[in-house]
Amino acid sequence: MQLFIRRYGTLIGFVAILAFFSIMLPGTFPTARNWLNISQQVSMLMVVAAGMTIVMVMGDFDLSVGSAASLAGIVAALMMVAGQPVWAAVAVALVVGLLGGAFNGAMVSLVGILPFIATLATMTMFSGLAFVVSGGKTISGRAIPEEFGNFARSGLPLGEWGGVAISLPNLSIIAIVVVLAVWVMLEQTTFGRRLYAIGGNVEAAYLSGINVRRLRLIAFSLTGLAAAAGGLMYASRVASANPVQGSGLMLNAIAAVFLGTTMSRHGEPRILATAVGVLVLGVLDNGLTQMSVDSYIRQVLVGGLILVAVGAGSVGQARR
Amino acid sequence: MSINKSALAFASILLATTAIGTSAALAQAKVAIVTPYMAQPGTQFYVEAFEAVAAENDWDLNVIDTAGDVAAVISRMEDLVVQNVDAIVINVDPTQVSAGLQAASDAGIPVIGMDAGADPLLVTNVTSNGYAMAAETATYVADRIKGAGNVVMFVFEAFPPVQVRGVVADAVFGNYPDIEIIDRVTPDVSDGGIADSRAKMEAILAANPEPGSINAVWAAWDQPALGALQAIEAAGRSGEGIVITGIDANPQAREAIAAGGNFEASVAQDFTGIGTATAEAVARVLAGEEILQTVTYVPTKLVTAANAAE
Repeated sequence: MQLFIRRYGTLIGFVAILAFFSIMLPGTFPTARNWLNISQQVSMLMVVAAGMTIVMVMGDFDLSVGSAASLAGIVAALMMVAGQPVWAAVAVALVVGLLGGAFNGAMVSLVGILPFIATLATMTMFSGLAFVVSGGKTISGRAIPEEFGNFARSGLPLGEWGGVAISLPNLSIIAIVVVLAVWVMLEQTTFGRRLYAIGGNVEAAYLSGINVRRLRLIAFSLTGLAAAAGGLMYASRVASANPVQGSGLMLNAIAAVFLGTTMSRHGEPRILATAVGVLVLGVLDNGLTQMSVDSYIRQVLVGGLILVAVGAGSVGQARR
Repeated sequence: MSINKSALAFASILLATTAIGTSAALAQAKVAIVTPYMAQPGTQFYVEAFEAVAAENDWDLNVIDTAGDVAAVISRMEDLVVQNVDAIVINVDPTQVSAGLQAASDAGIPVIGMDAGADPLLVTNVTSNGYAMAAETATYVADRIKGAGNVVMFVFEAFPPVQVRGVVADAVFGNYPDIEIIDRVTPDVSDGGIADSRAKMEAILAANPEPGSINAVWAAWDQPALGALQAIEAAGRSGEGIVITGIDANPQAREAIAAGGNFEASVAQDFTGIGTATAEAVARVLAGEEILQTVTYVPTKLVTAANAAE
């Protein structure tokens, strides 16, 4: 019974939250339109958290994802202002994210700095760079090509529901594709199994012939790439870029992964569990807004929820 | 007897209808304010004034602060649309949340801007009149120097809200044949604007060494005015009676004005008034009125040594 609660407590909690909102808001919460909204609202966090999961599988952290997301948005916006085509701007911004991630990886695996410290430093660096290249300004309005902003506003038409045309937003599609790609990578390839081996016992992994340095370098690069993708999605959604707009993504991404870890057998991060963690955060924001709950109370609730979820898992283990 | 019975039945039906009618009329209007900038002092004044009107009108008001997250403003607007609120008020650049504005527009929910910026999807944007603010300080300068003398202008064409101020000041000064604009400076604002304005003013003072050769400095916002003040004081020319004016009446400017030096006047936006006027616009929309003005201007207030400490 205790094991059951520890393993499924968070999932039960999630279902309870869904049931609660469905009862309190029967006309609006459990509707297709609302869920398509939620899927779009969490899409940016979903992509960043998916990337975060990759390094957290090895027991590492990346605190720089928020700054990397902001930097990617700024780089793309500046290129578009300079008259470059959207695809080129997006490609360069993604490369910037990848290189930033690789730099994190190099600091952690080649130089040997603790990830917490290395990425704390690069978080400041990336943020500073975003300010330097943008001059601290928000890039918006006519400077941003319409098609870039329109991307986040369109989607795949799903037909009519209750007389209203609904569609699966493009941002949601990207999030689903990224989660599936990370799932295949972590759960279905030797690369993923090796990352879990490093997370289980780095010494044992090394002694069994796993190239820990190279894998860490790749993992951090991918996290940087995902952060840049999340930042671009954010920039498209607000049709603008400013040097701090991604900063909220980092703590929420870590929170989502931690919520997810309470659902796995040994407390290791699993991508699908991370996805549930992201949904918990998104659903709380959506439902509590609809119930007119004060936005500050929401923050307290989310923090409390993480403590309860992670605590429920630890209590059982501490007894042993 | 049977007539009585049917009368009774009729009366009770009427009563029931009235009860339903009144309960519908009593249903509170749902209004929401969404802002990423609650931590800024101006926003708090808007919201408090708005809350006061909302309480009078018995609205079910939901104030949402996304703590700097602009994408979350769109998300919360989508949630409010799903919830089918009666009106949404935003306090953010509308071009950044056009996805949310579109969602509200598709659902027929009116969105009102509270010092947000102009947008075709807003019913109206309630803000201060930049033209009027510039006219206040430009006429102050013209009157103080008695319609004659040399004036230095600090302007900024690249930022539309500040650009309009320069246009109005040009018109006011142009109406006085004896006022000459000896320099029209655009300071570098990357460091906040004070330091470069000071450097530019020092150069102008050096180029016009005669006492009385500069009569006034008109600045399109407070930072250049403060920079000019520093330059004049550092050059030891504060005794010449050079009149300086700014716009916005930020705390540093108010302090300088209250001190009674060359910096004599600035213009304060009425944040409380903007909040109240926004709530009044919402009330009009809820009453089914069509608002024709896409921008609603709230009067501003000239700040001089007489009221700078307020």
